[in-house]
Amino acid sequence: MNKTLKYLIVIVVALVLQVTLLPAYLDDPFKPNLLLIIVVFMGFRGEMLGGSLISLLLGLVQDCFSGIYLGLNGFSYLFIFILINQTAHRFYTDNSILMVLGAFLATQLNGLLNLLLLMMFSAAVGIYLPLLSGILPQGLVNALMASLFFAFAPLAKLEESR
Amino acid sequence: MAEFNNKYRFYIFAGVALFAVMIFYSLNLRERNHANVFERGVLNLMAPVNRTASRINNFCFSLWTDYLYLVEVRKENHQLLEVTKSQNTRLIEAQDALLANERLKKILELKHAVDTPSLVASVIGEDHSPSFSIFIDRGEADGLREGMPVVAAGGVVGQVVKVASNSARVLLLTDSASAITGTVLRSRARGVVKGKEAGLCSLEFALRDEDVNVGDIIVTSGMGGIFPKGLPIGEVTTVNKGEYRIFQTVDVRPAVNLPRLEEVLILLKHHE
Repeated sequence: MNKTLKYLIVIVVALVLQVTLLPAYLDDPFKPNLLLIIVVFMGFRGEMLGGSLISLLLGLVQDCFSGIYLGLNGFSYLFIFILINQTAHRFYTDNSILMVLGAFLATQLNGLLNLLLLMMFSAAVGIYLPLLSGILPQGLVNALMASLFFAFAPLAKLEESR
Repeated sequence: MAEFNNKYRFYIFAGVALFAVMIFYSLNLRERNHANVFERGVLNLMAPVNRTASRINNFCFSLWTDYLYLVEVRKENHQLLEVTKSQNTRLIEAQDALLANERLKKILELKHAVDTPSLVASVIGEDHSPSFSIFIDRGEADGLREGMPVVAAGGVVGQVVKVASNSARVLLLTDSASAITGTVLRSRARGVVKGKEAGLCSLEFALRDEDVNVGDIIVTSGMGGIFPKGLPIGEVTTVNKGEYRIFQTVDVRPAVNLPRLEEVLILLKHHE
């Protein structure tokens, strides 16, 4: 099975979990953001063009299922991907702790970017406080989920053995 | 220029992409309450997945809640069983008390009806073989003596035969050693009621010509000085007169249900 197909399977599974099963059992901010973890993973190990496109798509899909601002997460995910991808060569990316830390920081950045965009373009004042207060716990949950992902996910292991 | 493009190509690309997305985002803000083509496409694509996941969710959820419900039901079932047991016990006790009350009431009525000093005793044991007798919880200390008549609400039970200080034995009228003079209530025909096998009695020495029919009630005749007159002994079940015999054969079923006796009345005074 080639890498692209494996990526596709992981993305589809994460997407299904993200938009169907997780909301049924977990509430924000304790619901992990699997799509963002994939973006982080791709940022460290993926290619620039394909990764950018997938990150943007994942962000837009996320926007379709959460909130009413299409493009909010699209922009944030793309920004996070580009940032990570351009700094990845400075780190030892096979280290799974880096991935966990990356997931945590990416969550913080995602929250701040969303907050910034909302402040810039919309007048939804009531959303700022829940968004801000949820950034830290969601970052921890995402870090935990990322550690599990990199401990058990076959794709992550395959990449590590590379 | 080409060198500039190569050096800053990535930054240009990233900047343009991010700017484009930001423009896309800002343009969508106007129509944020309406789904555009992309959103509709994604939602349509994910709808069957959502439906399936929702079914799986519901199944898991119902499985879990059913399991919890079953656990609760099991606990509740145990509690209800305990309550039912306790209430059944109380119900049985109440029914028993009610029956005892009825029996004692009958005994009391009998005690008032019999113009003789008497004593109520409870049956504490029974002996079916070789003689038919019962044990009662009254004895010499209560004034009991051998030969005293014992009756119950339905009629004659037997006679006191062995008396200890606090208990006594009563020879039932169905014992072969028992003999009580009786009279047919309807025709006044006389005889001696003796014990027979299988919990029955027979009316002995009733002359062949005496008028005895099936269904006749036999009562004590008062002769012999033991039982007062008129106490029911039993009911005639079969009559066999024969052709050449002096006495007829009469089977009598005791008036009292002897195997189920619980309280009896001992008549303390001999009727001599």
